Amino acid sequence: MTFLGMPLLPSKRRSDLPGGQGNIIEAEAFPEASHEHLSNQQLRNNIGHATSTIRSKRAEVVSELDDWEALRDAGEATKNEVMANLPEYLAQFEEAFTAAGGIIHWARDADEANAIVTELIEDNAPMLETGRREVIKVKSMATQEIGLNEHLEAEGIDAFETDLAELIVQLGEDKPSHILVPAIHRNRDEIREIFMDKMPDAGELTNEPAVLAEAARRHLRHKFLTTKVAISGANFGIAETGTLGVVESEGNGRMCLTLPETLITVMGIEKLLPKFADLEVFLQLLPRSSTGERMNPYTSFWTGKSEGDGPQNVHLVLLDNGRTRALADEHGRTALNCIRCSACMNVCPVYERTGGHAYGSTYPGPIGAILSPLLTGVQEQGNGSLPYASSLCGACYDVCPVKINIPEILVHLRGEDVKANHSPVSSQLDTALTGASWMMGDGKRMAAAERGLPLAHKVTSGEQINALPGIASAWTSSRDIPALPEKSFRQLWAEEEANDRDEEGQR
Amino acid sequence: MTDTAREEILARISEALGRRGGGEYVSSSPRTAVPGTGGTAHAESGGVASANTAATAADAGYHHEGTHTGESLIELLIDRLVDYKANIHRADGDPSATIAELIGGHSSVVVPRGLDSSWLAGYSGGVRVDAPGEELSVDELDAQGAVVTASAVAIAQTGTIVLDGSDECGRRAITLVPDHHVCIVRTDDIVDIVPEGISRLDAHAPLTFISGPSATSDIELSRVEGVHGPRTLDVIILSS
Repeated sequence: MTFLGMPLLPSKRRSDLPGGQGNIIEAEAFPEASHEHLSNQQLRNNIGHATSTIRSKRAEVVSELDDWEALRDAGEATKNEVMANLPEYLAQFEEAFTAAGGIIHWARDADEANAIVTELIEDNAPMLETGRREVIKVKSMATQEIGLNEHLEAEGIDAFETDLAELIVQLGEDKPSHILVPAIHRNRDEIREIFMDKMPDAGELTNEPAVLAEAARRHLRHKFLTTKVAISGANFGIAETGTLGVVESEGNGRMCLTLPETLITVMGIEKLLPKFADLEVFLQLLPRSSTGERMNPYTSFWTGKSEGDGPQNVHLVLLDNGRTRALADEHGRTALNCIRCSACMNVCPVYERTGGHAYGSTYPGPIGAILSPLLTGVQEQGNGSLPYASSLCGACYDVCPVKINIPEILVHLRGEDVKANHSPVSSQLDTALTGASWMMGDGKRMAAAERGLPLAHKVTSGEQINALPGIASAWTSSRDIPALPEKSFRQLWAEEEANDRDEEGQR
Repeated sequence: MTDTAREEILARISEALGRRGGGEYVSSSPRTAVPGTGGTAHAESGGVASANTAATAADAGYHHEGTHTGESLIELLIDRLVDYKANIHRADGDPSATIAELIGGHSSVVVPRGLDSSWLAGYSGGVRVDAPGEELSVDELDAQGAVVTASAVAIAQTGTIVLDGSDECGRRAITLVPDHHVCIVRTDDIVDIVPEGISRLDAHAPLTFISGPSATSDIELSRVEGVHGPRTLDVIILSS
């Protein structure tokens, strides 16, 4: 399934729709950002162990379903359908959600979404004696993307992450490095240290995962039972019924979604599914692809407010933040089909070596390498380097539950980057490629060039080459070129043919 | 402010989709999504979605019905629940003895209004009934040793039990705050695969899907049962 395609034809429709803001713009280009992570052996060990574990779990539970490919086809078709008719589905969703007692807010970008959430918190969360307000949060990519926690902190609001991994990241004053397991780069000893250092009542802990999880439970229990406002994302929004859903494991999601008086959900406009019945496909695709489980321990669905059950003030912020920009890219828009399972990063040889931080975005790994530039534009700071953060091996496409052709979009975005970020003046590389194209474009010229091989073989004394001059040194600085052969394939072929003819003649 | 944002985002989407004279859209009832038809309905100019609804979900190629029935269906559910560290018990007709044994160590338990009261006949501790207008506070729930509920549907293939907020299942908080959940699954409510489970549910009910007790894999991906939800899940499979 390896894809080694040529860049697609440039899109006819050049959209100038505004790009997204927030934690999807890389300050530093990937090659520089990845450099220090590559030499961090502890990080590489932690990530290598984690990704290989999830990879094999996923493969095992996927192989249990003999209709897996049909489910992927259905998932892909459903999301394509949503994107093609997004205004209609959004309007339908809005009507149903509002009819069920929910309130919808629309946010063009990160700033607007942050401002809406802040105002809602100020209206619904009491001011504490400290002069600050508190909210609890379910892990959510959308709120990571818009940098909500940082914004709220500046506004006098403390947002407590309740997912264990997010808590580790938050207490460690760190950044998430994986969509599903944000603290994947930390091992148990590091987590123990963070907890003992940052949890006031932690006491003496061992590094046993069960002991650490228990410490997190004690740390958060009181917050769950008393906090008035919670913030969540949503895995799915159902257009037909106005239903929202959150898929989780620990029960922290259920705590946030059901105990507080006010629930504020932030969801990208692309998260919709047309019908409630579509969940029959996505609830099979998502858990198996992400955690390698047949089903995650807890999934909650709510439709507006339910009388006497759960939050009675239910708000939803529908977020654009560059999604319409990505939608305008006909060759890249299927990146919006992503259901954030993270299967692509678990199989990616590049992610496995650099970890998530090198991508400089809320969305790391192969999906991040296409999604971030699509949401913001390749000209935004380091984002033009992200489409190159891949070997194009195609493993990400093979595992994607909604069949996003990530390698093809990577190649397309490399083309966009060349157009946007590189000078039209011929570079050394352009000259070399023009020369190669002249030579390889004609069989006779290629044959003539190959006749030089025996000589080149002698000059290099049959050894591998480990330093080339000029632009080619970029290649040889980290790789060797295999020893040049004595004869070209063409010469070997001609000799074989001649041998065959001789044998035929002798018979 | 948000009204403007709404109009602008919808206009951006129309532009992104190449709909000329953007911003025009139907206010409701877009064409029904048909998983598996493969094709995408390209919006036509003017913004009205094409009305191509050729296939039905049955053409989608994935399974809509499982193959397990009778005892093999129950065995599959048990196998999957055990895999998720739930404790399994079986009862024929009357689960009261099993329930009494499971919750006997707690001085007080909570039950939803509609739970069959005969099921608690063998239990001598305090029973708090959570009913509309007489809801237990969060602190009261926190003081209960266990919660006993029925369930709406159980999906065997994935080991999933669904609670739907009905009188027998109760509101969501009662099965969340106490540390021990005893859940009764009637054999009639067991289905084989996810599509069969979804088709039995009402989207407008508050739904909770439970597959084993609370768990995390956030520390070196080693699974730990019991973080924030109930740490113990006892499932009683009740044959009628």
